[in-house]
Amino acid sequence: MSEAPAEIVASARAAGRTLLSEVESKALLAAAGIPVTEARLATSPGEAAAIAGEFGFPVVLKIASTEVAHKSDVGGVLVGVADEAAAGEGYDGIVAAVGRAAPGATVDGVSVQRQAEAGVEGIVGVTSDPQFGPVVMFGLGGIFVEVLKDVAFRLVPLAPRDAAQMVREIRGLPVLEGTRGQPGVDLEALERLLLSVSAFIEAHPEVVELDLNPVFAYPVGHPAGGAVAVDARVVLGEAVPA
Amino acid sequence: MTAVPPAVGRMPVDRARLDRMLNPRTVVVVGEKGPGYQFLKSQLEYRGNLYSVQIDEKEIPGIEEMGVTNLSSLGDVPGEVDLVISAVPRPVVPLITRQAIARGAAGVHFFTAGFAETGDEQGLALQEQLLDLLREDGMPAIGPNCMGVYNRALGLRFHPAQDVGGDDPEEGSLAILSQSGTHGVNLTVGAQRAGVRVGRTISFGNALVVSESDLLAYLRDDASTNAIAIYLEGVREGRRFFELLRETARLKPVVVWRGGESHAGARAVRSHTGSLASEKAIWDAMVRQAGATPAGSLDDAVDAVAALAHTDAPSGRRLALITMTGGQSVAITDEFERAGFEVPELGAASYETLAQFYNVIGGSYRNPFDAGGTIRELENLGRLLEVVEADPAIDGGVAIDLNVRLFADEPEQFTRMLDALERFREQSGQPVIATLHVLVATLQMTDREDESREAVLARAREQIVGRGFAAYPDFRRAAAALRRVVDYQEWRSATGGA
Repeated sequence: MSEAPAEIVASARAAGRTLLSEVESKALLAAAGIPVTEARLATSPGEAAAIAGEFGFPVVLKIASTEVAHKSDVGGVLVGVADEAAAGEGYDGIVAAVGRAAPGATVDGVSVQRQAEAGVEGIVGVTSDPQFGPVVMFGLGGIFVEVLKDVAFRLVPLAPRDAAQMVREIRGLPVLEGTRGQPGVDLEALERLLLSVSAFIEAHPEVVELDLNPVFAYPVGHPAGGAVAVDARVVLGEAVPA
Repeated sequence: MTAVPPAVGRMPVDRARLDRMLNPRTVVVVGEKGPGYQFLKSQLEYRGNLYSVQIDEKEIPGIEEMGVTNLSSLGDVPGEVDLVISAVPRPVVPLITRQAIARGAAGVHFFTAGFAETGDEQGLALQEQLLDLLREDGMPAIGPNCMGVYNRALGLRFHPAQDVGGDDPEEGSLAILSQSGTHGVNLTVGAQRAGVRVGRTISFGNALVVSESDLLAYLRDDASTNAIAIYLEGVREGRRFFELLRETARLKPVVVWRGGESHAGARAVRSHTGSLASEKAIWDAMVRQAGATPAGSLDDAVDAVAALAHTDAPSGRRLALITMTGGQSVAITDEFERAGFEVPELGAASYETLAQFYNVIGGSYRNPFDAGGTIRELENLGRLLEVVEADPAIDGGVAIDLNVRLFADEPEQFTRMLDALERFREQSGQPVIATLHVLVATLQMTDREDESREAVLARAREQIVGRGFAAYPDFRRAAAALRRVVDYQEWRSATGGA
């Protein structure tokens, strides 16, 4: 499934949705050159096994439902799926778990994703300020963002200098630079990611909010590349009546 | 507090008329009342044609006593009218506005309050009516609910504490924009006390027509303005303001002090990012991205302005620190290092020279310099500064703790020290930043029968800022202020600013 960006937005609009699914969000972002882990929708255990086989192992399975906000809280995420048989069984297991924990939620199927190697967790996002318009955010994941709210913002469009300052002005910078024998991550890859998000927002004024959470950041020269968004959530603005 | 009207359909401002309003040759004050007569009294040194329009028989004698010509109508004012200052009660405002339009005035400043900021029906209706009148004529208006225009060279003021002078406008000066009248006065007087020449202050209140963005655009292009300080509670056209701020900061430093919360209103948020985007976080990011200098209070804004106005761009962050006692040499080092500066050792040749004259008994000269014992000798501060200047280890200038007691006991010596610092600044091109502590122990020793310690301190401070040095009451504020200069210069060179 690789819909063109315009079709993704149009089909969400047609269904009266402003929240895109993870699969839709990632397809839209990938088309704009933003590194995301590839995700495809399976609507049956057999399809899940086939997609997983195509991707290679391990894969991650996640419930596909725009009505479930916190997928892992309802048993909707399975990581480290090692073979095709496990992918098929995992499909059924996830759908059943979500059915128990969130009865009545509409389920579109299960998204099958390449499993990214764990990296330093960051968060990248966009929101729209009523006074200044779209802004890009960068921070580290976990307690840095949840408790300390250690995040940096800049107005769209970002200049290269803005992106460079953002990754360096957070208090958690030493975590990115490497501590206790851990190598530092590729800061320039994070800067490129921020710049490509800014360009994406300029090209898609219909997108009013965006979360890439988490983003995994890797050391320079890591085979997985510099940084990749593992989960994505795109929110469209209310459709302007024609 | 002022009310922020929506940005939609804002009236464009005629730049030529705004220019006449801000540099008026003829000013008419309408509806001035005693016993204070604040607007007329503030204009007694105004170098232009000043008239009063007042029909209240009780007020006219007081106005004429000040030597101001009083007329019964705006229509009677001779010549071109550049600025009408309206101090009439709010129901009379539409009438005065019609008269000002009929008279062909360039613009009006409404001191009068009682419009949209009240939230009452009459205030809102009057504001609508007023805007319709102004729009029809294209008349730029400042206010309502504000103190208006200060222009130092013309002697046009809105508060008698603002100073007056006929400096060469080529020399450049600070301009201040303030949404609040009080902070407009405080910033002006605070900066002037810090030795900064303030050329203009504009208190713009509700900004019905002329907004902070219109005024910032004016100051960006104003050749006599070489630095800007702004007090704001909110902005009307966020993007326009941001872009103007960024353009302006490339040309001259802009300090932005923001008070209160804006009235932008709540919004629905569906992302994690949205929940983290507090109004303050976005504002701070906007100021930083624009290359402006943020300030958190009046003192902070004045500190930043003084450093930016007085301090040459340092070429680095490696400083020489000079104090009179050992304890202070430790404290000054802590604060400057905390603010991101380095306090390196000098080269071997420098120490050889220093050893020839430095009094090491009760002192030290590694850097920081505990120099109290050494610079009692008249020529020694100059010798010390020559060593610092010649040493490539120092590229960020000198921070020095100047002693009030020395000023009180040996004024001659104090003057010689300032001479030496001036020489250093000129020859090295590096900044000098001074502190003048209000230490209880020191002050008690400065008590004189004929003069309070506060007065001694004020005189000492005046001497320092009179030489064009920024002076701070403690090391932390001095370090923070110098850091602002470094940050601004780094931003400017990185963005290819002028």
